[in-house]
Formats: sequence, structure tokens, C-alpha cells
Amino acid sequence: MEQAFLIDIQNNQNIIYKVCNLYRDSREDQEDLFQEIVYQLWKSYPGFKGESKLSTWMYRIALNTAIAAYRKPKIDITYPEELPDQVHYSADTNSSENEERLFSALRILTDAEKAVISLYLEDFSYQEIAAITGLTESNVGVRLNRIKTKLKERLN
Amino acid sequence: MELNELKSGWQNAGGNYRTEADLERMTKLNQHPTLKRIRIKMIIETVVLSFFLIVYYDWFDGDQKPLYANLLLFAGVLLYIFNDVIGYISLAKPVMKENLRSSVQHLLSKVKRLSILSLVISFFYSVCLLAFFLSVVTFTKEKSFILLGMILVLVQVTHISYKVWRNWILKLELQVNDFAKED
Repeated sequence: MEQAFLIDIQNNQNIIYKVCNLYRDSREDQEDLFQEIVYQLWKSYPGFKGESKLSTWMYRIALNTAIAAYRKPKIDITYPEELPDQVHYSADTNSSENEERLFSALRILTDAEKAVISLYLEDFSYQEIAAITGLTESNVGVRLNRIKTKLKERLN
Repeated sequence: MELNELKSGWQNAGGNYRTEADLERMTKLNQHPTLKRIRIKMIIETVVLSFFLIVYYDWFDGDQKPLYANLLLFAGVLLYIFNDVIGYISLAKPVMKENLRSSVQHLLSKVKRLSILSLVISFFYSVCLLAFFLSVVTFTKEKSFILLGMILVLVQVTHISYKVWRNWILKLELQVNDFAKED
């Protein structure tokens, strides 16, 4: 079982990476959260019977851990009104810079909004987003519109 | 900037940079970052307090103190260790409900219960220690002032602890309200 788990997680580790970058600011906190998520996935793996997609199961555990895990007290970070640069994904821009800008933009959202937008960006349906978050499908739609407006204002 | 660009940026983020060995190491409880810190604190406190219980009778004249003071000291120390263990077990088993909204609601209830238990036990433990060491003291005016100072410090420490718990609870309440917002 352990081998199958490790292969599954290794092939889909970008899900954990994205959740960590979305919910934590510093590299150290992201690293801690990454380890916590892998540990929680491992503990929950025996209960994963393949009834849902692997990515659905991973997102559910990863988001739950990111939101519910104890966080060390930290100095409050206030985000500037405007981002330093606009987010453009062009070939001549370093991909890690692009990623950092992407996550900086998304980190202005609340924890619930982050969960909704991450699932939306991963192409989950409204029904799947509703099942993972516990919101109604119509509420997911309304929230997504608000999030999109918020992000457009922030990014343009 | 279009949302489609955001979507493609999101879907392409990250990479397979962790090896199987890295991931395997992370599945071990002793590698869990938060629990590791809490476990070290719990082990140190348990060892120190157990040692104290073994030696206090000789080193701190337990035989010259009244029975109630000895019993209070024992009860206070054991409850403190119990509180450490309960806190560790609770954090080691994060709330995993059927969806995020339920998880956050359950976590809030759990943290509220833990905060009350922890504050009451920590306060009781401090009072027991004070009661033990002061049980045979003949109070003078100076000693009464020292006692008053110690009580003020105890109240202050309890208040700081309360604020730490309160901040966590307020944060969780914000999350619960965030998930509960209707259309």
C-alpha cells in the first residue's frame, strides 16, 4: 500500500505545492504545511476507496489541513493595495516569478474563497466544489463571481 | 489579465521535485513539524514534573507539609501532565469532516473545549504549587506582599494564555462565518 501511495502522491504533488503556496506566506511555513498534508494524506489513505477522483480526495485533505491546522502565531502581514507588477504569463518571464505573482494575487482572498478558487482553477465542477467545501452550488457560483471581480480589480 | 491566464498559471504551477524517499519520510509521525515541537515540549515537561514528584518529598520537606498540601501538589502536577497529553492527542488528530465547512465548525468547538480545559488546569496547577509551598509559612506583612505579587504574576500569565487561545478562537470564528455566508 505504501508504494502505491507514494507513487500517487509523487505524481500529484503539485496539488500539495499549490495549496501550501496559497495558504502560507513564508517558505518555512509552506514546507511545514507540505509535510503536514503528506502525513494527513497517508493517515487517510486506507479510507480512500477510489470512489472519487484521486485529485478530489487530495484537494479535500490538503485544503482541510491548510485551513484547520494549527498555525504558529505570526506578525500580521498587510498586503499593498496594488501589486508591484501586473501578472502576465509570457515566455520571457521566469516561471517561478510568474508563480509567485500568481500566488500573491490569490493570497488576498479569505480562506473559504481560496478553497473555492483553487478548485475552480483546477477545473472542478460547481457540484464538486460544493461537495468539497460544504457550500451550495448556487453559493459557489455567487462566490466565484465575487472572487473574479476581486481578482480582476487587483490584477488589472 | 484574463482569468484564463490565471487558470493556466495555476494548472502549470509546481513540479515533481520531491522524491519518493522525501515523501516517505513525511509519512512518519516523528517528522510532523507541529507535532514534533509539541511532543518535545510535552516530553520535557513530563520528565521534569515526574522527577519533581519523585524528589519533592525530600528536597522540599514534603513530610513537614500538611497532607492536603501534598495531595494538592500531586493532583496539580498530574493534571498538568494530563493536559499536555490531551492537547497533543487532540492536535495529532485533526478534524476531518465530510466537507471544509463542517471541519471548521467542529474544529472551533474542539478548540473552545481545549482552551477551557487548558486554562482551568494551568491555573489549578499554579494554585496547587503555591498552596504547597505556602502551607507552613507564617505570614508577615512582607510575605503577604510577596504572595500578592505572585498572585498578580499568576493572573497575568493566565491572562496571556487566555489571549493566545482567544486569538485562535477568533480566527476560527471568522473562518466559520466566512463559510456560512449566504448568497
